[in-house]
Amino acid sequence: MHLPGRSALGVDGTGIYVHVPFCSKICPYCDFAVTTPGGGRRRSYLPAILGEIGLVCRDAWRGAPPPAPADTIYFGGGTPSLLEPDELEEILGALARRLDLVAEPWLGLEANPEDVTPRRLAGWRRLGVRFLSLGVQSFDEDGLAFLGRRHTAAEARNAVAVALAAGIETVSVDLICALPGQSPASWRRELEIATSLAPQHLSCYQLTVEPGTPFAVMRRRGRLRELPEPAQGELVLLTHTWLAERGYQPYEVCSFAVAPEHRSRHNPKYWRHAPYLGLGPSAHSFDGQRRWWNLRQLGPWAEAVARGRRPVEDEELLTPMQLALEELMLGLRTVEGIELDGYRRRHGVDLVAANRATCAALGRDGLLTDDGGRLRPTTAGLAVADAMARSLDLEADGAVESAEAGSSGPRA
Amino acid sequence: MHQIRNFCIIAHIDHGKSTLADRLIQRCGGVADRDFRDQILDSMELERERGITIKSNSVTLDYQAQDGKTYQLNLIDTPGHVDFSHEVRRSLMSCEGALLLVDASQGVEAQTVANLYLALEYDLEVVPVINKIDLPAADIERAREEISEDLGLDPYEAVLASAKLGQGIDEILEAIVQRLPAPEGDPEAPLQALIFDAQYDSYRGVVLLCRVRQGALRAGQTVRLMHTGKEYDVEEVGLLRLKKDKRNELAAGAVGYAIAGIKTVRDIAIGDTVTDASQPVDTPLPGYKEAKPVVFSSIYPVSTEEYEDLGKALDKLALNDAALTYDKDSSSALGFGYRCGFLGLLHLDVVQERLRREYDLSLILSAPSVRYRVRLSSGEELKVDNPSLFPDPSEVESATEPYIKASVMMPERYIGVVMELCRERRGLNTTFHYLAQGRVELTSEMPLAEVLFDFYDRLKSVTQGYGSFDYEVLDYRPTELVKVDILVNGDPVDALAQLVHRDKARQRALHYCERLAETIPKQQFKIAVQGAIGGTIIARTTINPFRKDVTARCYGGDITRKRKLLEKQREGKKRMKRVGSIEIPQSAFVAVLKTDVD
Repeated sequence: MHLPGRSALGVDGTGIYVHVPFCSKICPYCDFAVTTPGGGRRRSYLPAILGEIGLVCRDAWRGAPPPAPADTIYFGGGTPSLLEPDELEEILGALARRLDLVAEPWLGLEANPEDVTPRRLAGWRRLGVRFLSLGVQSFDEDGLAFLGRRHTAAEARNAVAVALAAGIETVSVDLICALPGQSPASWRRELEIATSLAPQHLSCYQLTVEPGTPFAVMRRRGRLRELPEPAQGELVLLTHTWLAERGYQPYEVCSFAVAPEHRSRHNPKYWRHAPYLGLGPSAHSFDGQRRWWNLRQLGPWAEAVARGRRPVEDEELLTPMQLALEELMLGLRTVEGIELDGYRRRHGVDLVAANRATCAALGRDGLLTDDGGRLRPTTAGLAVADAMARSLDLEADGAVESAEAGSSGPRA
Repeated sequence: MHQIRNFCIIAHIDHGKSTLADRLIQRCGGVADRDFRDQILDSMELERERGITIKSNSVTLDYQAQDGKTYQLNLIDTPGHVDFSHEVRRSLMSCEGALLLVDASQGVEAQTVANLYLALEYDLEVVPVINKIDLPAADIERAREEISEDLGLDPYEAVLASAKLGQGIDEILEAIVQRLPAPEGDPEAPLQALIFDAQYDSYRGVVLLCRVRQGALRAGQTVRLMHTGKEYDVEEVGLLRLKKDKRNELAAGAVGYAIAGIKTVRDIAIGDTVTDASQPVDTPLPGYKEAKPVVFSSIYPVSTEEYEDLGKALDKLALNDAALTYDKDSSSALGFGYRCGFLGLLHLDVVQERLRREYDLSLILSAPSVRYRVRLSSGEELKVDNPSLFPDPSEVESATEPYIKASVMMPERYIGVVMELCRERRGLNTTFHYLAQGRVELTSEMPLAEVLFDFYDRLKSVTQGYGSFDYEVLDYRPTELVKVDILVNGDPVDALAQLVHRDKARQRALHYCERLAETIPKQQFKIAVQGAIGGTIIARTTINPFRKDVTARCYGGDITRKRKLLEKQREGKKRMKRVGSIEIPQSAFVAVLKTDVD
């Protein structure tokens, strides 16, 4: 059982996320739960993740009624391509045996260009990988050096070409824009190279200096100056217009595909509040109302599993207000926007009525459209989705609270 | 009694009054050198910083004169600003003489003249003192000439001094003894004493500062305050040395303090007459005048949680400031606050500074307003100082506003620009007369409201700092009053509404629109900032949208972190003042409503 109206969001199934926390080298911008594979850590991972699956399967949803079977599996990291295909196979086998999956789940995998070899590609295909996300980040040598990547531009280009040639259904290229000092022209060159390689999918993120990363230290010491926000905004808009002209349609602020069937089928589950089960260090799970997350560090995570305990660090039960807020915040990042009837049903909030003046102003300025059924951000709106989420009200008159009282949700 | 001298020092701001007072105190051994703190009379931090005296203090000095006798000199302090002219009056009424201080480098200024007139009005003997003669820019001859021509005093009676260097102090003390008259008054007559000031002491309650005209004020006596009619038992009387010097009685001619179990300064009226309850005089001393606020502003705490603290702080300030009035007020944009009344802009500024410093409050003040009298078609007359209480214009028959007599002194070459400024400010009957060579005094009858808005700054600017200004309130005169609303994307911001003369409405509205447009952060959409009278738009500016705030990436299932950031930002947004679709940060109100006093 899950929240009413879920099918209306087009994300019926559950998603499974497997976090592979290793990177042969930690990039200076990265704040994910990552570690290097040395010191026996790499060896400890496989038994631990299998152990977690074994623990989780007894009560995957921690007391909650199980949602629909999982129809997507995504290996993220870290660098999942550091796992050999047979290791992946072992994990997939355990998932299929122990958890509720559809017959042929959609399978996505993140890989670093330097790991893309014909042998591995063949293995991934055999396993059913339909979406290969390549952590290219840049096609520029200086950019790659700045980002601390191990591959060269040529290796990146080659990896994309080889992956496409191997017949992976969707090859996706990850790029990072808004590097310090980056001009629109230099970013356009990156996009040119990317599109000339003709992957079916692109993910373009702006560089974000996260606290606790080497970049944050550099920034504090004045050795890294972020691109000013207006310039960042310009690059985001450039990305959208330039890619749209070449057939890459956005479906989320950072995600572009040449056709709807090449979109990620896993990530939208996050944006649409579909249930997902996260495995591996730091992985997050969500059952429609409650979110919990695993211990972040590999050691404690593996140790908990070894002791037969679920490696959950903490959880939160989202209030109706928080659910409404998340759906607003996430919906505004997507081209489909927010379906208003469903939103009102789920949260008891009439977004348009609660924000007449703001919606009108945003509409007049070409950031948001309201065709009666959906509140959709325009391209310019996508670029400032977070700001729009800040300015839209959820009606302070307790509408959300009363929705809670009348809800037939799983834990009401 | 003939060895008592009651005197004050009158001067323009910054002409050295406090420094001179310090020297006199020091010379008379009123304070040991090691205890000496510069400018003892200006004890409040704020007063010292601004170089002005707000609450008057007084001190009794013993001076051994050249004739061998010891004189009791009562230095009665006077506030040095036009807002406090009623306080100046009461101080003057307690004296027989005054030292008129003129800065040798600045010469006679508007306030010097105004104060001299006051002194003459109370028949005081005036001794001119030319101070700051040590300054390189000192021009003693010019100062003498101005004393003669502008003030009509004998320039050769002027004592030359440098209070800073201690020069001329003995001469001044001798002049006080020899040239100022001793007080008169029958010590056997029924008690008649003037309350010229009062201080609040958290242990003793109100400490009255009195000048005894006749009879004697004694501990144990039951006294009546003639205007309030209230009676009190006097607990203690004494002289105002640097510490209170307790005495059995204050006889006719004396200046000192009395403590009589009075709880707050609101229970008394400054300027009231103290008499013996069992043997009262028939008539009070003249000079009692209620301190009426003429400038009004709403004060809001930046943080709504500080509303209570603000109320408590005002309560405390009011203990020692009888002229301050305050009532609860509220604004949809700024929340709860207090509508306060002040004697003038400086008084307003002093109060808000004290609230900020002594009570650590962050405040927003609405645009200062005068109190209008509005006659309705129904015949009813309203007093309106708060734009939110302005009646529907269709019901307004007529309105009047307070006028002042403004006096500006300046070098001749600025006549043109100052006359233009007065004309801009709706000045009437502007006249000027030449003073000493090259100097002019201009007087103009103008609405007080015109002075509240940016007048000091403009005067300083057009006269390059050489113009000095003084005013007195005259009367109420007809005005064409309109209420100007400031709209942000079509929604009125109540805290920015103002009452202004119709001719000034557009200019004022534009000023506010522009300042607001500079301070409201750009948002994702275009914002119109407009000024309107009723439904008619009279001014407009636009804030163009700003494409920043680039959407951050959202990776994986950790939505919690992203949501928490958003929750925090929305929390921050709550602290902004929402007007329609626009959040206006407090800082915008602060910037737009910043008063032009300093």
